Amino acid sequence: MERQRIGVFVCSCGTNIAHHVDVDAVCESVQGMPDVAIASSYRYMCSNPGQEMIARGIQEHQLTRVVIAACSPRMHEKTFRGACKRGGLNPYLCEMANIREQCSWVHSDRLAATEKAKALTSAAIRRVRHHEPLESLTAEMCPNTLVIGGGIAGLTAALELADAAHDVFLVEKTERLGGNLARVDLTAPHLDSARDLLTERITRVRDNPRIKLLLNSELRNLVGYVGNFSATVRTNGASGAHEEKTVDVGNVIVATGYQEFDAGRVTHYGHGKLPNVVTSFEFERMLRTGRIETRDGRLPQYVAIIHCVGSRNKEFHAYCSRVCCMTALKYSHELKSANPSCYVSDIYVDMHAFGKGCEDFYKTTSEVKTLFLMFDKNERPVIRKAAPSDDCDMLIEVNETLSGERIEIPADMVILMVGMEARSDSGEVARLVNISQDRDGWFMESHPKLDPVATTTDGIYIVGTCAAPKDIPDSVAQARAAAARILGKIAKGKIEIDGVFAEVQDERCSGCRMCNELCPYSAIEFNLDTRRSHVIPAACKACGACVAACPSGAIKGRHFTVEQLHAQIEGVLL
Amino acid sequence: MSFEPKIVGFLCNWCSYTGADLAGTSRIQYPPNLRVVRVMCSARIEPTFVLRALAGGADGVLICGCHPGDCHYSEGNYKAMRRFPLLKRLLKDHGVDNDRVRLEWVSASEGQRFADIVTDMTERVRALGPLRIKSDLQTDLVER
Amino acid sequence: MAIRVNPKLIDELATYGAADVQNCYHCGNCSAVCAHSDDTFVFPRKPMRLLQMGLEKRIEASLDPWLCYYCGQCSTQCPRGAEPGETMMSLRRWLTSRYDFTGISRLFYVSWKAEVGALVLVAVLTCVGFLTYGFLNGNIAHYDGPTAFLPSSVVHVFDWVMAVALSLLLLINAGRMWWFTTVKNPRIRPRLASYLKALYLLPLQFLTQKEYARCESRRPWAIHLSLMLSYVTMLILIMFFLKQIQEGPAIAWPFHAFGYVATAGLLFGVIHAMRGRIARKEPHLKHSHESDWIFLVMLLVVTLTGVVQHVLHRSGLELAANIAYVVHLSLVVPMLMLEVPFGKWSHLAYRPLAAFLAAIHRDALVSQRTSTANGEPGSTSRALAAA
Repeated sequence: MERQRIGVFVCSCGTNIAHHVDVDAVCESVQGMPDVAIASSYRYMCSNPGQEMIARGIQEHQLTRVVIAACSPRMHEKTFRGACKRGGLNPYLCEMANIREQCSWVHSDRLAATEKAKALTSAAIRRVRHHEPLESLTAEMCPNTLVIGGGIAGLTAALELADAAHDVFLVEKTERLGGNLARVDLTAPHLDSARDLLTERITRVRDNPRIKLLLNSELRNLVGYVGNFSATVRTNGASGAHEEKTVDVGNVIVATGYQEFDAGRVTHYGHGKLPNVVTSFEFERMLRTGRIETRDGRLPQYVAIIHCVGSRNKEFHAYCSRVCCMTALKYSHELKSANPSCYVSDIYVDMHAFGKGCEDFYKTTSEVKTLFLMFDKNERPVIRKAAPSDDCDMLIEVNETLSGERIEIPADMVILMVGMEARSDSGEVARLVNISQDRDGWFMESHPKLDPVATTTDGIYIVGTCAAPKDIPDSVAQARAAAARILGKIAKGKIEIDGVFAEVQDERCSGCRMCNELCPYSAIEFNLDTRRSHVIPAACKACGACVAACPSGAIKGRHFTVEQLHAQIEGVLL
Repeated sequence: MSFEPKIVGFLCNWCSYTGADLAGTSRIQYPPNLRVVRVMCSARIEPTFVLRALAGGADGVLICGCHPGDCHYSEGNYKAMRRFPLLKRLLKDHGVDNDRVRLEWVSASEGQRFADIVTDMTERVRALGPLRIKSDLQTDLVER
Repeated sequence: MAIRVNPKLIDELATYGAADVQNCYHCGNCSAVCAHSDDTFVFPRKPMRLLQMGLEKRIEASLDPWLCYYCGQCSTQCPRGAEPGETMMSLRRWLTSRYDFTGISRLFYVSWKAEVGALVLVAVLTCVGFLTYGFLNGNIAHYDGPTAFLPSSVVHVFDWVMAVALSLLLLINAGRMWWFTTVKNPRIRPRLASYLKALYLLPLQFLTQKEYARCESRRPWAIHLSLMLSYVTMLILIMFFLKQIQEGPAIAWPFHAFGYVATAGLLFGVIHAMRGRIARKEPHLKHSHESDWIFLVMLLVVTLTGVVQHVLHRSGLELAANIAYVVHLSLVVPMLMLEVPFGKWSHLAYRPLAAFLAAIHRDALVSQRTSTANGEPGSTSRALAAA
């Protein structure tokens, strides 16, 4: 192996590291190691003078490798790579030893901590010898976007992109646009009509020549990587015939929405058996037709609304569906305005009124004399038929938390606030676009707080209720956010691909194709002509699963090579 | 002087390494016997890494990944999980106690859990004493 | 056993003045700020809850509304504008109507017209009665002496007859209060000893209204106490010393001195309350039910006609004094006959009785709790529920 000139820079981090680690002793211990040209310490390596010191050191000592013993690489690796670049060194020729988060901050024995810091630093020195200069790659960005789902989120995303003069393929499974929102009458908390909200969107989508609307259609296949996807969409014709077509897109927005919880699963609520126990969506239909009446055509005097049906319950879904509380309040208003002499009991677990204007809405619902009755989420109201002598059809028995009383509530109609759940076909969608689902089936975002619309697969975005239950404003905001992310990438024209990825060394590959199946990103293709596999750098996320699995050791995981890791293992054991 | 074991840790970048960093930022103390090697995903860990560590003088090896279902790369941790029993059986045949090689799930938010695991592992390995079959391993297994 | 919710009760209570109870979302601020609410009697939150849910039997069995003296702190602190203070006031009105076995009270609270009508009717009857007696047995120009239009001995007998009748009515209603809250209440098993032990509370609370003084502001208590003591002084003078204060024309200072002070106290109290209800600045005077106004107006005109009658008599204008006297009596009689057993005035019995019963409840709960703790068989769950 060729001789290297390695510069070691040890950071004191004020006293953060120096308090428990003898920084000078670390410098001294590595000074004599082979190839180490210089070893010096500084108070704050990440400061401007610290970075300057590294850049200058590279030039003055003709360093070919740099080791920085400081904080976690998750904190400042980018900073120090930048410093190396300014010093004229390829940024990947730098390695960090984490002697703060995983050493000085967790050990109070100064001697032992110093020994550990020495070991970590020497391991980094051994590793960095095997580093190779890496360059990032670029690829073309196709400006077309595929939007899956024609609900409020999909419509909004499509419009946002098309308004910026880019082509959009909007794929909707059913024969009409609007999604679940099209089944709703008014919306909480301002009692705007859902129909009005949707009509505007749908008309604009239909009128926009940039949007290719594909109704009765499904995504069948998606291959490629960010900027260069190829999507196969199947459209079902009226007579059972179907046609498939393949389109090129740079990004995909998944807006497939949710499905309602099947109220029949909570057997003791008697949905499907008791005639006047209806789900929220069945009640929405009554509202939209303007006929709120029992099965036998009477005006209900007592209406009871039961919250959290299928939600916040270990047996069904542990999560909160977020929109049902405000929807229930909306029903109170609609019921009272349709029939002021009707009594509404709102049987809830907790009132989640978190959105803008929702707390006021809760208050105005109280003011119209809605009787709020609270029960424990581990308990369930029981519905039974009332006696003929009662002035109501049904009685709901429950332990009321706020009064501590066991009560029975009269009802002529019971509305079950069914929660949202991941669509039954969400697993299929996740597999097609290569994203993951959480344990409830919702699509997983790249980061729940900082990157809520991107996924771990570049170029695939999730918006609206396919990612988690949410209300209309949040869904619309996400749709616009995803569109903005895509527009930003389209504006750049090209995509930059990190230099760290896996590569197949042709001469070693036996063509067994084991890696093809293993790759979570389908980034490894098999070339039928050469009978060899090869990695698409833009699609590779450098997890290294294929590297570890290749039986012939033919795949090199750049920046995490066998040699680099072996050297590091030996180093930490010194 | 009492025996101080050397333990090599392989931590995935997204969950466990971040969890270990969190233990640091939270100043949760644990024994200094663990030396960490960062990999992007627990699926990257080759069995030879573990053997190399044991042969090179480690008394124990700790592998940490994301909890099942939380993998940054969808299911890399499942791949690690499937490899692990085979490795353990192989090591057992060579007289390496099962307590010396451990696979644990640590999320980015579980600094305390990480520290607890390291503390527990260090105590167990310390109780087992130094690993004595290093020469065997070196000759038989490490050459690849 | 589950008890039936009655969503309609809240509408019924609206006619008694509880217009905003539906706004309450049970944060508990009201109970936290209340000087009287404690672990045993949690109010206003709890009665507000019972009212929202329409649990009539529970409210009937509750002493809570009577332990509230309406300082209004709860209403000031309420984040939802649910007016807990006024709700408690309305509950007292509703309970008064429940305790009253005749149903008259309910009629008056629900319809002020009925109340006014009844007052007018009794006034007319009284007027006719006294005029008939006067013209048959005396001379309208004579106030004193054997030919007096309305001799004090006759009025004295009349007073006592009325006092006995009213006391009986009030006693029956108070008995019903005891029955609902203590005997029929499944959560309370009172001990006889407790009754004896707490007996002193009845006169003490009646005369000092000590509990009222525990409210954050003591001013309303002081004013109420002066009004009430004035009234009691008047009552004693009329019931026992009618002859001395009635006969003239000389002023019997040892008796009249008390009368003047009491009259001043009554006027001051009534005028203060009226001004407060018009200004609507203080929380407890913000909301006025029709019955509140009827009560105040009656008290004012009764006092004023009493003053006029007295002045005319002492000035020697006997004819005018007699007319004023008849007017005065025609106002006093309906006021007492309708307000004492059926109206606002009944609280003179219910308040001290509630304080007395509350002490008994407290005692019972403590002994029930200890017996449960000692593993005594019995209704453990009941005692716990009550706790």
